[in-house]
Amino acid sequence: MIVVENLVKEFRVPEREEGLSGSLRTLLTRRYRTVRAVDGVSFDIPAGSRTAYLGANGAGKSTTVKMLTGVMTPTSGHCLVNGLEPYRNRRRTARRIGVVFGQRSQLWWDLSVPDSFRILRRIHDIPDAVYQRNLRLFRELLDIDALATTAVRQLSLGQRMRAEIAASLLHDPEVLFWDEPTIGLDMVLQEAVRELVNRVNRELGTTVLLTSHDLADITSICDTALVVDHGRVIYQGRIDQLLSTAGQRCVIFEYRGGPSPEAVAAEVEHALPGTRVRLDGQRVRIDHPVGLLSSREVLSFLLERVDLTECYVPEPDLGTVLKELYTRNGHRGRAPGGAA
Amino acid sequence: MNPLRPAFRYTPFVTGSLQSLLRYRSMFAISAVTAAASAAMMIFLWRAVHSSSPDGPPGGFDTAELTTYLLVAQILGLLHANRVDDEVSAEVYRGHVAAMLLKPVSYPAVRAFACLPVIGTNALFAGLPVLLLFALLVPLNVPRPVDALLFAVSAVLSAAVAYLVNLLVGMAAFVTTNTWGIRLMKQTVVAFFSGQMVPVGLMPDALAAVTRLLPFHTMVDSPLTLLLGRYDGVPGILGVLGLQLLWTAVMCAVAALVWRFAVRRLEVLGG
Ligand SMILES: Nc1ncnc2c1ncn2[C@@H]1O[C@H](COP(=O)(O)OP(=O)(O)O)[C@@H](O)[C@H]1O
Ligand SMILES: [Mg+2]
Repeated sequence: MIVVENLVKEFRVPEREEGLSGSLRTLLTRRYRTVRAVDGVSFDIPAGSRTAYLGANGAGKSTTVKMLTGVMTPTSGHCLVNGLEPYRNRRRTARRIGVVFGQRSQLWWDLSVPDSFRILRRIHDIPDAVYQRNLRLFRELLDIDALATTAVRQLSLGQRMRAEIAASLLHDPEVLFWDEPTIGLDMVLQEAVRELVNRVNRELGTTVLLTSHDLADITSICDTALVVDHGRVIYQGRIDQLLSTAGQRCVIFEYRGGPSPEAVAAEVEHALPGTRVRLDGQRVRIDHPVGLLSSREVLSFLLERVDLTECYVPEPDLGTVLKELYTRNGHRGRAPGGAA
Repeated sequence: MNPLRPAFRYTPFVTGSLQSLLRYRSMFAISAVTAAASAAMMIFLWRAVHSSSPDGPPGGFDTAELTTYLLVAQILGLLHANRVDDEVSAEVYRGHVAAMLLKPVSYPAVRAFACLPVIGTNALFAGLPVLLLFALLVPLNVPRPVDALLFAVSAVLSAAVAYLVNLLVGMAAFVTTNTWGIRLMKQTVVAFFSGQMVPVGLMPDALAAVTRLLPFHTMVDSPLTLLLGRYDGVPGILGVLGLQLLWTAVMCAVAALVWRFAVRRLEVLGG
């Protein structure tokens, strides 16, 4: 569905010099510096998958999405969406993709949401049945009727995002590109958006490519991750498998009676080498390396020693796993957005 | 499949533009008053020149012809005030053009369709009242039906050239933020070289030669040449309309080329 081969995008940015004298100098001689925003990336995304495109800030995610949606032409390399090179077939591509750029509105600034939708319906030639079905869906899940006749420029960020998301889905696109879509959405709406994407993915087989700083969005919407660092793909595969590569796991529990928490902590660290125990009131947290111990071993030890009342074995969190992944690949820069 | 189907995609831009026009009705009154005032000024200025000239009407224009020329030139100016330059530069400036690139439509075509109601309402609510008013006040030349028809065709081509000129002026926003200065410059150049102030036939020879090399005279002088019947038979008609068509085609090509360059430029600006 999406094929990317050795994709490169370079920008020529004018060098700025400091101070007034610097400004005067740049007035006469302007020097340029080349920024390589996307550095020879290759990947392949099958139809019907829901992929999170992950990478540090400035890793070139938005730039890649701009090339995939046809608004930018690569410096070299190429990409195919639905078998078309988007930047060479912009209008034909536009008919088959849905796009949200969190940073920039796709709607008509001075028009209300229903007016924008009427325009989209016409320019996409959306059949009546499809249009009505989708509107019903958006009413139910995104409560778009509440946006009524307010001009888009007067909507709050969260309201505008709801409209943007709905607009990107209105014409039943085959591929969705969402670049930082859920900034400003509250918990209830995040849930609704997740439900919406999962429904169109299930019913229409829509392919989804998402970039987000919000790790909760990523884990709730996507099943696959594509992690890019310094222009190279350093992981492509299922998110649950990515999570299972975590080097550290933890078990959190509470117990009744018996020895003091400090005594339990000392005992655990002694009996299970490599673990680290943290106390939080009545709650005890055991972090253990995956290679040496399994959660099962930790649990069976605990079941024997103390009278457990509560016990949690949470899934390793994506932020930590990504940080490990970057470190393993020699990345010394910032961690990906939400994990920082 | 209906061959007009692609054009139907653009209908919301026509209706949308009409809606927002009707919201600002006072604009027509302002346009009408401005056009009427300029027409009156030009007409009285030329009359003064006329009466003081001892060797009769200049360039073979009699008073009614010259009056008609100057009045209709102002009305054509209303058809050229299609606001495409304002709209394009505003949308470039606000970054809305980038969003249009993600829609299955051509942006220049969107602007063309959106300016149709502007031209139509300007003609109806400003041009027509001004014409009627002057018809009551000053003697005008009544054209032959065939010349009126030729004028109509020529006026459409002149509106097309005006759209293309304004599109190019609007796209200047890709390279400069001072679009106001550029628009002002265009207004002056167009007013002069189109023949709106001085019929090309009355210009000094050297200036007339330059004017005929530029596209602007096809906006005012060409339609009026046909309206006043100042041509030599069918070859004359074909010459005027042919030149208008040629300039429309050339400007189309230039606009397409500039648009392509502008899209590239948009990437640099961070589309
Ligand atoms: N239009 C542009 N001109 C110059 N540099 C740009 C432009 N767009 C992006 N960049 C640079 O390219 C790099 C990647 O940007 P971007 O694709 O937005 O990253 P991400 O979305 O992964 O955070 C950044 O260093 C950014 O400053
Ligand atoms: Mg980004």
